[in-house]
Amino acid sequence: VSLIHINILIAFTISLTGLLIYRSHLISALLCLEGITLSLFILAALTILNSHFTLASMIPIILLVFAAREAAIGLALLVIISNTYGTDYVQNFNLLQC
Amino acid sequence: MNPFISIMLLSTLVLSTMIVTISSHWLFAWIGLEMNMMAIIPIMMKKPTPRATEASTKYFLTQATASALLMLAIIINLMYSSQWTIMKLFNPTASILMTMALAIKLGLAPFHFWVPEVTQGIPLTTGLILLTWQKLAPISILYQISPSINLHLMITMSFLSILIGGWGGLNQTQLRKIMAYSSIAHMGWMTTILLYNPSLTMLNLLIYIIMTFTMFTLLAQNSTTTTLLLSQTWNTMPIMTTFTMLTLLSMGGLPPLTGFMPKWMIIQELTKNESLLLPTLMAITALLNLYFYMRLAYSTALTLFPSTNNMKMKWQFYPTKQMTLLPTAIVLSTMLLPLTPMFFILL
Repeated sequence: VSLIHINILIAFTISLTGLLIYRSHLISALLCLEGITLSLFILAALTILNSHFTLASMIPIILLVFAAREAAIGLALLVIISNTYGTDYVQNFNLLQC
Repeated sequence: MNPFISIMLLSTLVLSTMIVTISSHWLFAWIGLEMNMMAIIPIMMKKPTPRATEASTKYFLTQATASALLMLAIIINLMYSSQWTIMKLFNPTASILMTMALAIKLGLAPFHFWVPEVTQGIPLTTGLILLTWQKLAPISILYQISPSINLHLMITMSFLSILIGGWGGLNQTQLRKIMAYSSIAHMGWMTTILLYNPSLTMLNLLIYIIMTFTMFTLLAQNSTTTTLLLSQTWNTMPIMTTFTMLTLLSMGGLPPLTGFMPKWMIIQELTKNESLLLPTLMAITALLNLYFYMRLAYSTALTLFPSTNNMKMKWQFYPTKQMTLLPTAIVLSTMLLPLTPMFFILL
């Protein structure tokens, strides 16, 4: 609604665009995923503090926990991929095409 | 895999879907969906082949994006209504974002690109879990927010799914990809009726799960993953050819079999709501689905495909794989049509 919210939403949109359009490395997609979860954290904390919704103050921290889980599993998959291919170039993901 | 880890992963999978379906707080629904993704990725990597790794990575990326979009929709809903109860959404932007996020999770078009590739890269039973159990959680959320979903977006996505599920499956010989495209088409049928009568979505989901479970269990008996291997089943287990044919025709939606029931109900509900062009087009494009099922049934059951041995049949051993619930599932997926009035308990 206000300008700060629009700012954080633009940050989310830029990170989302970075996640959807990554050129050669898989790790840049994981990085943009982290950017997305960071902007969501700030947006949630902002909304909850703005409306003095004290009971929900725990929620951004729980969000951060699950963001860390996603990052961990993303990195684990990245490690397995670089075990088989040596790099994380996305052009190598062509085993499963028709 | 170590049985302790396997039990832990499967129980987390079941628990996460239960969390999503019974929760009334948006955060818990989101947590359930995250746990769902976390639990199934190690199951998909049971044998760490490069194909399974690639499938897991593609699945992870798409589902993580969908979770992030879902969280954004939840927070926008919070901004405009300042409450976390799962009921209808209070902002059209949040509604559109959440519908798109759940469509990515389900594999509706235009977000369907991950489904064939991920289904292809994983073992058959894991593919079964992916195509049946994983659909329960997003559809339960869609069911709960159904009063506030944008009609045009939903109808566009579901009709596009039916088209793409029909056309995409035509050029495939790999059975897992065929099942993936069939899943996309059935999801399209399910989400068409969501805004008019959500209990028919549940009916379609139930019948679809039964039919897909039957199909995958039949395929897992011989470990067949291509059409070529499937056409050899007359040699090893001749009775499976009949069951495969009946199940495939039921999935295509032919009348005396169960698969006709959800299609009939959906077309009836749509015509009650005065949309005539959409069910006509849906029924016509369901023929595309029926074509590739018929092709599979033809090469499996209606012809004796040339095989490598000289005898007409191989020596019949006792089956070593467990046919869990297979007779029950076959009966349920072919003979349930006369019991249609029973499904009013879903209302």
